[in-house]
Amino acid sequence: MRRILLRRFAQIIPLILGVIVLNFALIQMSPGSFLDVMTAEQQVSDPAMIERMRVLYGMDKPVVVQLLKYIWSVMTLDFGYSYRQNETVLAVIGQALPATVILMLASIAIALLIGVLAGVIAAVKVNTIWDNLISVGAVFFFAAPTFWLGIMLMIVFSVRLGWLPVGGMRDIGVDHGVFGDALDVMRHLALPALSLGLFYAAMYTRVMRASMLEVFRHDFVRTARAKGLSGAQVVLRHVFRNALLPVVTLLGLQLGTVLGGSVVIETVFSWPGIGSLMLDSVMSRNYPVVLGVLVLSSLIVAVANALVDIAYFRLDPRIRAR
Amino acid sequence: MISRRHFLTTTAGVAVAAGLPLSAFAQGAATATPKRGGTLTATWGGFEPQALFVPPGGGSSPYFTSTKVLERLLRLDTSLNFQPVLATEVTPAADFKSYTIKLRPNVTWHDGKPFTADDVVYNALSYWKPVSAGLALKALTGAEAVDPLTVKLTFNTTVPEFFLKSVLAGKAGLVIPKHLYDGKELLTNPANNLPVGTGPWKVKEWVRGSHVEMERFDKYWDAGKPYADRLVIRWWRDPASRSAAFEAGQLDIGCFNPIPAPDIKRLEATKKFVSTTKGYENSAWIASIEFNGRRDITKNVAVRQALMHAIDREFIADTIYFGLAKPATGFIPSSNALFYTKDVEQYPFDVELAAKKLDAAGYPLKGKTRFKISLVAAGWFEENVKLGQYLKQALEDVGVEVDLAIPDRATSLKRIYGDYDYDIAISNNSGPVELVPYWTQFVTTDGIVKGAAFRNANGFSDPKMDTLVENLATNTDPAKRKALAVEFQQTVAKQLPITALVDINSVTVARSDVRDHSQDADFMGESWSRVWLDR
Repeated sequence: MRRILLRRFAQIIPLILGVIVLNFALIQMSPGSFLDVMTAEQQVSDPAMIERMRVLYGMDKPVVVQLLKYIWSVMTLDFGYSYRQNETVLAVIGQALPATVILMLASIAIALLIGVLAGVIAAVKVNTIWDNLISVGAVFFFAAPTFWLGIMLMIVFSVRLGWLPVGGMRDIGVDHGVFGDALDVMRHLALPALSLGLFYAAMYTRVMRASMLEVFRHDFVRTARAKGLSGAQVVLRHVFRNALLPVVTLLGLQLGTVLGGSVVIETVFSWPGIGSLMLDSVMSRNYPVVLGVLVLSSLIVAVANALVDIAYFRLDPRIRAR
Repeated sequence: MISRRHFLTTTAGVAVAAGLPLSAFAQGAATATPKRGGTLTATWGGFEPQALFVPPGGGSSPYFTSTKVLERLLRLDTSLNFQPVLATEVTPAADFKSYTIKLRPNVTWHDGKPFTADDVVYNALSYWKPVSAGLALKALTGAEAVDPLTVKLTFNTTVPEFFLKSVLAGKAGLVIPKHLYDGKELLTNPANNLPVGTGPWKVKEWVRGSHVEMERFDKYWDAGKPYADRLVIRWWRDPASRSAAFEAGQLDIGCFNPIPAPDIKRLEATKKFVSTTKGYENSAWIASIEFNGRRDITKNVAVRQALMHAIDREFIADTIYFGLAKPATGFIPSSNALFYTKDVEQYPFDVELAAKKLDAAGYPLKGKTRFKISLVAAGWFEENVKLGQYLKQALEDVGVEVDLAIPDRATSLKRIYGDYDYDIAISNNSGPVELVPYWTQFVTTDGIVKGAAFRNANGFSDPKMDTLVENLATNTDPAKRKALAVEFQQTVAKQLPITALVDINSVTVARSDVRDHSQDADFMGESWSRVWLDR
């Protein structure tokens, strides 16, 4: 397993380099620059002031020099300075990342819990009303745009019932104590995590159901039944574990897209995460922040995939044997 | 892209179109006795600021937040009278080449340091002139502290009183603390993220992506104010989410079209909310059309005039802006009570006349088209997208082939103001009542600065116009200034380097128990010390 992990982590270096070069090139090729946006926003018309800003932002240097400088900075864990936010990129991302990670983990937890459970029920009760209801629900949540779902949940639970807050991450200016603050964050987290989680839950439901039905047909399941194991024992001990592998694969692949999906949900719920920051940075061509977010999210995805490999290792003895 | 759907179909818009008063005008006349306490939660129809204070300006979002903390010397009320803030008097010398500013005593910065004439001198020479108000204060030659509470500004020419007071009460006139900025880089000063001012609100906490929390400044010079204990400014990128926040009781007030238009009607029907277009007199918005004078076809004035006849501005106001806009009659918005005139060349919608004028200009139909032009609709407002699509159809109706581009914000800025890469551009401009320099710089030669946005991108350069604007900037007789302003508008309407298609209305939405809001000519940029909660 150590060899697998080492190989995985070694792959991260060229991945990060690729992310930097590719995205740097894409940003440079996009029409309009950070300087254009900043001078427009700041209503700067004095040519001397524009030049002062160009030098301040390091845009007076050739693009290749800018790129090499950036790569060198990243190697020394310096992600640069965001003149738009007037802070270091790491500080800007550091403020937003925890909120996004919390949202990601909560939505994945919801997705796994609901998706796997619903998939198992649909497979066990295949071709019954339960299976049909779950399938219709899965199609609905998969097809519903997350922003629409978010707003609908907001209208029901915040506006009509008044149970949950409309947005933000916590009550403003109120100190509930450590435990109370944690509960407060969870209360604010419920709707955004549910909006994002239900979409992925729909996907896991379909995959889990199909995978379970596939495993049900294998000989070892028939053998288990012939040995006299109960239906529940067959499902939990033999079918479930084997059927889980495609869901784990999907989970690894989807960590990246959850980050992407959080952009929309963070926008709807004013969740102070990476999503809004990324959107604003792309629109303003703020490449230090864009690259910083992409490098860090690539790292997260790469590490998460390494963890998925470990999960595979634990779940499937055949991989261990190899 | 900022959604301006909220401009479109509001009750406010319908009411304005029908000439009816908005319900919001009952938003709370300043007659009831204000109550102390409570938390005022506010938002606006845009995004989070990049920093709470951006020294050169930074757009509406940092302007909204910074003006609650930093103050100006004066403010302009909705009747266009200047009211004292940090200055108690601003008096011109007999020759109008210098002004004496008397400052308010016993004013302290949030960190406890006293506010003095040295602060104003520093602002005049090191902040306003070089950074925030360069064009407006180009005649400023000196600033000196006569005594701790008196400042004398000197100019190399005559400066009209309304002009100078507009600068001091305007977006560029915020007063920053000398002791935190002097000798340090303005653009990257840490105080920009946590500004220290003399205003009624002190920044307590800024959670990026969510909100900024401000608390009452107990030593505020205007005793008893602010009335609320806390001011929280929250940001939602999505207007529908803002509507939900209003309904859920988590928002008290929103400026600059905070929610989708149909929601305003729905919320007002509950009697718990009001809306108003008051409070935007000194920050009028237009949707503008600009003709590139560097291009062969659009440098021809006769072509520009002909094309204007092909555009139905009533349709734009009614359909694209759902009534929350007025067909423009010229470049200066009709809301400008001081300088606006309707007495300019008009271009009524008449497709046949447009075709005839294009024939006469030397562009007869060749087959189905006369010529091809590129049209860039700046993609920062949703309405500009529709406006671009409408204009394409309208111009094609008179045989003009249109290559329409609706780029994103950064690309629009580069194409229009950086590369001048367009024949016709649709953009948006906003400005105060004073015409110089915010409105005049679109047509003066010194307004041509490559790469500087919201300046002269059309390339129009006429010594007569430059002289006219120079006179407008230096003539101290209000009646003569009005006459010069009329001449300015008439020249622009005739030459048509740029003009307005519609004057856009801005709307504030508030809960009915939020009192005494919208009582300044630029409410969004005021300190909100007088707003109170009737709970």
